[in-house]
Amino acid sequence: MSEERKIRVLVAKPGLDGHERGARVVAYGLRDEGFEVVYTGLRQTPDQIAVAALQEDVDVVGLSILSGAHVSLSRKVIERLKDQGADDILLVVGGVIPEKDIPTLKEIGVGAVFTSGTSIPMIAEYIRSEIRSDGGG
Amino acid sequence: MGKDTDRIDEVRKAEEEWQEKVLDPRVNRFKLQKSPTRFYTPTDRNGFNFLEKVGFPGQYPFTAGNNPFDFWRAFAEESAKRGHRPDWGGGGSVGKYGGFGTASDYRDYLLRMQSIGRTGGPNMAFDLVTQCGYDSDSSEAEGEVGRVGVAVDSFRDFQIIYEAYTGDLEMDKVASNFTINAPAAVIIAMYAAMAEKRGIPLERLRGTPQNDILKEFIARGTYIYPPRQSLRLFRDILVFCNEHMPKLNITSIGGYHIREAGATRTQDLAFSMANGAAYLQAGVDAGLDVDTFAPMFTFNAFGGSMEIYQEIAFQRAARRMYARMLKERFGAKNPRSMMIRQPVSAHIGCSSTTLQRPLNNHTRAVIGGLAAGMSGAMPLSFPPFDEPLGLGHSLEAVQLNLDATRILIHEAKIADVNDPWAGSYMMESLTDEIEEGAWAEFDKIEKMGGAVAAIESGYMQKAVAKSAYERQKRIERQEDFVVGVNCFNDENEIDVTVNRAVEDTYDEESMRSAEERQKVNLAQLKKERDGGAVGKALSTLEKHAGDETVNLMPDILECVKVEATLQEICDVLRGVFGEAQPVRI
Repeated sequence: MSEERKIRVLVAKPGLDGHERGARVVAYGLRDEGFEVVYTGLRQTPDQIAVAALQEDVDVVGLSILSGAHVSLSRKVIERLKDQGADDILLVVGGVIPEKDIPTLKEIGVGAVFTSGTSIPMIAEYIRSEIRSDGGG
Repeated sequence: MGKDTDRIDEVRKAEEEWQEKVLDPRVNRFKLQKSPTRFYTPTDRNGFNFLEKVGFPGQYPFTAGNNPFDFWRAFAEESAKRGHRPDWGGGGSVGKYGGFGTASDYRDYLLRMQSIGRTGGPNMAFDLVTQCGYDSDSSEAEGEVGRVGVAVDSFRDFQIIYEAYTGDLEMDKVASNFTINAPAAVIIAMYAAMAEKRGIPLERLRGTPQNDILKEFIARGTYIYPPRQSLRLFRDILVFCNEHMPKLNITSIGGYHIREAGATRTQDLAFSMANGAAYLQAGVDAGLDVDTFAPMFTFNAFGGSMEIYQEIAFQRAARRMYARMLKERFGAKNPRSMMIRQPVSAHIGCSSTTLQRPLNNHTRAVIGGLAAGMSGAMPLSFPPFDEPLGLGHSLEAVQLNLDATRILIHEAKIADVNDPWAGSYMMESLTDEIEEGAWAEFDKIEKMGGAVAAIESGYMQKAVAKSAYERQKRIERQEDFVVGVNCFNDENEIDVTVNRAVEDTYDEESMRSAEERQKVNLAQLKKERDGGAVGKALSTLEKHAGDETVNLMPDILECVKVEATLQEICDVLRGVFGEAQPVRI
């Protein structure tokens, strides 16, 4: 029996913000949940993130943003993914995201927003359900 | 002494009996693996020597505090009568931490603050573009100009900010703080050039640049050059300040960011001390007597948590460890060299706050204030309860914090006793344990070759990331409890809200337009300045950067004066030093 392909996730830190704790914890956590996880490290441009997402052939891109620039950065990453014809990639965002901005993020195409206090299994469950129901995996 | 030893033996015997006849039966009765509580006895601080372990406040090893009483305590009653607001600055101290937009936006904000009596010196937050050594017109800057702080591209910007400081508030009459690390040399050079231009002797300047680059690699992330080259710049700043600006603090070392990034207490203390040792060694290696410069080292803060006994012990252990390191390893003789000078002591750390039921963060902050008051500092309650909402601190939240501190001082009288836990079996035992754990980790790092080597190998970064993940797992497994997050979060619990009014300090529109305006300023600067002089200054800097024995501060000062931009200076050094690479996990 061939093993099911593992869901592949790119955890990315766009912009110059150096708050890395959330990104690292989620990267470790999703790895333990059985995903293939690639973490970009700090200071990635939306272009670099889109290119990495394609190169790594990921199903999901998770952006960690604590600088307040979540709307503009998410929009840029979504545009770059579209430019590359990779708009089937699920985009999720985590970080310090005021509640009032969550509807805006969803409108521009962010699948889910995970703020402080979210557990790793919750993120994993969401990703699994989205990827599987898309017929991916 | 014979008599004491007998008593310890007596206590030990009684303790064994108590455990067998009282404790164990109760543990069994409730079918527990072990007792959920701990009782400390004289056996836990066996061989305790008061003068060696604690001493008097203001004396080595400073376990009981840096001073018999602090400056603020001397005037606490007077401050209460006069309604002093410590957060507004004044009396030559620094004002509130802040900064946004362009230099003129920030200058206007400072002037506005002064007009309502908030006369503290500039306590500058720089935007991430500046912190990472870029100019506002670089591609890396897009969307970030003037966002988390003020944009400073050149000496011109710096001069505009200081237009707010003249006359009674002349730049040598107030203290200035700069939260800047990788480009600290450039900002310090701007500060020096500013004073020169105004005819103010450099030796009169007071302030604190953060200038703690090593922790940027472990947490916070605004590094530019590799660690070893960064430490060379640190040395150049140290030597320059020591000679020309003896009242300027050289560094503000921080364990705070390291713990917030996930480090354990032991890692926080050990890594901060290892970083501190690397900085001190840089001064010694430059041929300076440690007592000439160590008194100008400060600490920003260590990390904090909700574990109040442990955090009080941590502060005591930190003071003792640093004092011992200075005296025993560096041979310091001046007591001032041995003190951890920091604006706060224990606190809960912003990472202890929760987005869920945020008003609970006020309760948490008060506990941090209590820990601070019982560990050698003002009982500061921090942060404001709305910290994790990411919407700015409201006036209500700030008021609650201020009042909590005042209640702890004036009503609870927390600050009337120095080191109130001194001699406690529990506290002395915890203090020893934390110090011993930190020395073990410190020695491990020394064996790796010190802080720089432990950063180059990624050891510290990975250790912190792993600790952060361990904490997350403990929360998810309900081994650690966080109220409202992983327990007590069902539908029976209600959220308590209060009004939140956020002071209109930062104008959203000027933040939005800062990038465009700043690009125009830069273009104009590049047109007006003497390009030949800039090229010459930069090439001298480049030549000298390759020779490790040369102090680069005079060259950087020259670059600043001829209006080379911050990025032009940093790019020259990038070319010679290379760039630090992020650690992948």
